[in-house]
Amino acid sequence: MKIRLNKSVAALATGALLLVGVPVAGLATASSAAAKPVYVIGYEGPLTGSGAQYGQNELGGLNLAINNANATGMLPFTLQVKSYDSQGDPTLSPAQAQAEVANTNLVAVVGDAFSGATHAGEPYWYSAHVAAITPSATAVTIATGKNNFFRMVYGDDIQGTTDANFLVKTKGAKTVTVISDGSFYGAGIAGVVSVAAKTAGATVTNDALPQTSSCSGGVASVSEFAAEATKIKASNPAAVFYGGYACDFANLLPALKSAGYKGTVMSGDGSYDAVLLKTTTPKSAAKGAYLSAANCGSTGNLTGTLAKQYKKLTGIEPAAALYDAQAYDAGNILVAALQKVSLTGGVPAIRAAIITYLHAGSWTGVTGKIQFQANGNLVGTGKGNIAIYKVTGTKLPTAHTCY
Amino acid sequence: MNLPFIKKFSTKALIILISSELAAVVTGPPGNGDTPWVGFHDSITQKASFFGLFVTGRWALFYAIGIISYLAVHFFKKLNSNNSAMDSLRSQYSSVAKNKYFKLAAVLVIGVLAILLPTVITDPFWREAMVSQIAVFVLLALGLNVVVGFAGLLDLGFVAFYAVGAYATAWCTGALPMPPIFGSHVNPFFAIPIAIILAMVAGVILGIPTLRLRGDYLAIVTLGFGEIITLFANNLTGITGGAQGTKQVPHFSLHIGPLKYIWGLDPVPYYYLVIGFVILFIFIFYSLEHSRVGRAWTAIREDEVAAESLGINPLKYKVMAFAIGAASAGFAGVMTAAQSNFLTPATFTLALSINILVLVIFGGMGSIFGVVFGAIVIQTITMYLIHTPPAGYQPPDLYIYIGALLVIMMIFRPGGLFPARRRQRADVATSSLENSNG
Amino acid sequence: MHGFLSYLNAHFHALRLEFWGLFIGGIGSGIIYAMVAIGYTMVYGVLRLINFAHSEIFMTGAFAGYFTLNYLIGSSSPTGFSSILLIIVGILAGGITGSFFAVVLERVAYRPLRIRKAPKIAYLISAIGASYFLLNLAAKEFGRIGRGIAQPYQNHTVFTIFGAPVEMYNIIIFVAAGIMLIIVDRLVSKTKLGRSIRSVAQDSETASLMGVDIDRTIAMTFVIGGFLGGAAGFLYALNVGVLYSMGFTPALKAFTAAVLGGIGNLRGAVIGGLILGVTESFTVVFFSGAYTDVVAFAILVLVLMFRPTGILGELIGRSA
Repeated sequence: MKIRLNKSVAALATGALLLVGVPVAGLATASSAAAKPVYVIGYEGPLTGSGAQYGQNELGGLNLAINNANATGMLPFTLQVKSYDSQGDPTLSPAQAQAEVANTNLVAVVGDAFSGATHAGEPYWYSAHVAAITPSATAVTIATGKNNFFRMVYGDDIQGTTDANFLVKTKGAKTVTVISDGSFYGAGIAGVVSVAAKTAGATVTNDALPQTSSCSGGVASVSEFAAEATKIKASNPAAVFYGGYACDFANLLPALKSAGYKGTVMSGDGSYDAVLLKTTTPKSAAKGAYLSAANCGSTGNLTGTLAKQYKKLTGIEPAAALYDAQAYDAGNILVAALQKVSLTGGVPAIRAAIITYLHAGSWTGVTGKIQFQANGNLVGTGKGNIAIYKVTGTKLPTAHTCY
Repeated sequence: MNLPFIKKFSTKALIILISSELAAVVTGPPGNGDTPWVGFHDSITQKASFFGLFVTGRWALFYAIGIISYLAVHFFKKLNSNNSAMDSLRSQYSSVAKNKYFKLAAVLVIGVLAILLPTVITDPFWREAMVSQIAVFVLLALGLNVVVGFAGLLDLGFVAFYAVGAYATAWCTGALPMPPIFGSHVNPFFAIPIAIILAMVAGVILGIPTLRLRGDYLAIVTLGFGEIITLFANNLTGITGGAQGTKQVPHFSLHIGPLKYIWGLDPVPYYYLVIGFVILFIFIFYSLEHSRVGRAWTAIREDEVAAESLGINPLKYKVMAFAIGAASAGFAGVMTAAQSNFLTPATFTLALSINILVLVIFGGMGSIFGVVFGAIVIQTITMYLIHTPPAGYQPPDLYIYIGALLVIMMIFRPGGLFPARRRQRADVATSSLENSNG
Repeated sequence: MHGFLSYLNAHFHALRLEFWGLFIGGIGSGIIYAMVAIGYTMVYGVLRLINFAHSEIFMTGAFAGYFTLNYLIGSSSPTGFSSILLIIVGILAGGITGSFFAVVLERVAYRPLRIRKAPKIAYLISAIGASYFLLNLAAKEFGRIGRGIAQPYQNHTVFTIFGAPVEMYNIIIFVAAGIMLIIVDRLVSKTKLGRSIRSVAQDSETASLMGVDIDRTIAMTFVIGGFLGGAAGFLYALNVGVLYSMGFTPALKAFTAAVLGGIGNLRGAVIGGLILGVTESFTVVFFSGAYTDVVAFAILVLVLMFRPTGILGELIGRSA
């Protein structure tokens, strides 16, 4: 008995040693007294867990926009960003959504990063009339027609259809193999491409290759890519579309090259990421691959001074950060909204006014021209808005054609 | 000079130094993959304030904290071993704790507190978290405790039963592409028995071939099973909806005569529903623990060969443990499906299985009270860190602390915070044996 | 029925065409599994313990190789003799780092439990904890995005077997892994150290009475297993780059391989690894990449049901 109690004290003390460091580590926080009213913009997304990188990228972009807006000194209010970690998990999103809407200073939400979590949080945002602008959730099904939902990216349907038409009509591929990585995003876009390619007249083979442990969150084995490539070589389709993320597309490309596959290889915006050319070994294996991304007319990334500021703020390389620019634009749109709407009616009125403003306005951001439809999708059929890139060198390509 | 003393002293100082600096790195600023040492370097050299008293390099600060903690532990140890008053107090406490009426009173008080909790907690985040992140995890921990704590089987794929329960609910309520059995838009209440039975069946199906295997193999096979269930949910798009998830799962609702009630976005009614089932499961598991079945589990856990020689069929009782443990996970699945209205396979990960295991271990394997307590404490801390992260704390670091906690628990307090009584006895036996040896 | 037959026919056709390609790819991943599996199997042999944190040994080795090669190579593209030298340096960096972390792991997470004669479940949990700790610490220190390793050689097809290309990468891992596996096999079966490892595996109490230093032997087991694990991490990273979570899947597969071959048995681990690697390759063609894990675990469960000690049987002492 005695021994055990001593041990528990030891355990507690050792635990305390670890935990004491937490508050000590961050004593240097700045606080400034401001007489101006304070409004909070919520960010909800995965800040921990397997999708944490997306959340951190977006939070950084939003923070950058809000910091810069505050720094101008021109605003009649002070803006704060408050982050709510959903871990990208639909089961955690409702709790955070309720915390957000209960925040009496919160005027709008940027998030969630993931479609599933957005879907789960949406009823709570809607019931409190809070605008939720997602920088990255692309699932077709989440635009349900509720007036508080907005997204900064085109849905999978527009990009997927464009990609399929590019492969079948522009490149003349009569046989297409569509591979899904089994993620929410990958399965979505692969599904759209598969249907659209069939509609365009191609013979489509669907295949699945799960996310590997080279992508955080995946658990499959990378070795399967070699086998998949061998299989593709044997059936020899004219084109291969990969619905998934850059970290795994970087495994597929060298495997296809090794297997001697010579057809057209393409992937969506999940693969339009500097990680692709950081990870593909050798880099030459990526040569000739096509990538698509929504919002033609920009690289979709922060550049110049913004890129430097972003790097300084977050420590993340902006060229490697997916959806940072979308979150940055969302932040700026909300700043514009707060400058336009009447601030006299209190937070509930501001929330509703922001929704109205978002439906009426249009903006030009680093991701291009932004305007929302009634259901929150970006305006346009997407025609001319999907950029298709061809990898030529050892850097992520910026030269593109708009389709 | 006393050389052995110096050697012992310097060894201790070195150990404290290494562990303090490790703590400094763990709590320090992050690094990046281009420059390998920058994170470590900054963590150790950055300036930090010692509770506002003085400012120094982090390395010195953490070393100071390390030494103070060590001395504090040392001091308490001394105090404990010399203090007979503490001993008598402790024995008095334990005799009170063993008193039947005291126990009953304690259970009642906790029950009343649980019922009154939503009146105290008004923060919407915590009201929601109380249900979907704490109560549901209490259910999961209770179920895993039957498998790991009572029967001593390490199950690393427990999340599979949770997934089966959740998807069964989605199926019964018509939220899957696969047509439901009783027509669509069935109330999730009707899904409860089906989900629980399907989860138990999954337990039996997994159990019969694998529970013949030795303990080490069981861990890996259950881990594989957990992955496979997720794989099927992810890839059988025509049945489960695949990676894009299910359609809308309806909320619970009651239609008895004139009485009509629909559970909705407000978490409080869900809280009472789930608390009712938590109490039910605690009651069932407590009765089981003190029944023939529970004794058979203990016998198998402690010595399978001996148990077999006493006429206990280990396979039968192990499969029972799997099925019974799966039942509460299946119910937890119903809650999750109905409350969040939406499921994707990405929820049911290996990390979640390990998370549930942590709850069980932290509270005390085999102790129902310990497991419930452990689940509440760990999930509350996790949610607190998610809700209001302290300055300087990077949210993804949570798992570093969880990992460290597991190792530290196993070294210093393997029985958990509230060790099960039967295990306690076994521990006392070994520790007295060690004492007599040493 | 006709659909099924044409399905089978089409897939057999692919299989005939690409049999050797799939086989070579399978052997390539199998030999990595084998190297990792040896770490599991040796530790299991002496401690009767699944070293769940071995996946993180693999990861640390990969990161060590990555940092070393990126530092040495920079932006040059080495060929010939310097390629061989760089690969050896990478293997040493990965292996030594792997050994270091394996020994630290044993000291911190296992030895205190061993002294207390803790139940087996405590080791497993401690191992899972250590694995979580290292994994997430690596994520914190080295970032959460994948990175490609600087290439110490120029990959190209060296020769073909029945039309299937054999690449430089395949040859490198095959030769490197082969040499290391042979050395370890000799080390365990012929040297004094090997004898003490085997004696501890068979009966640690008797071994200690015979004058074998148990603690040292166990530490050496972790050194050898850690070296192979870390070096395998580096060889794996040469192809696919590094990421904090990279170790999980290969290690899980390697553990499956170790059980398949008969845990505690060195040659069993190698055979198990190769079987698993080849099986995975063929599963991708026959079913789908989505179901390789299902097939791997189905094989594992079947083998264990009908031959609970694995293909070659258990015990490091008997057949190594």
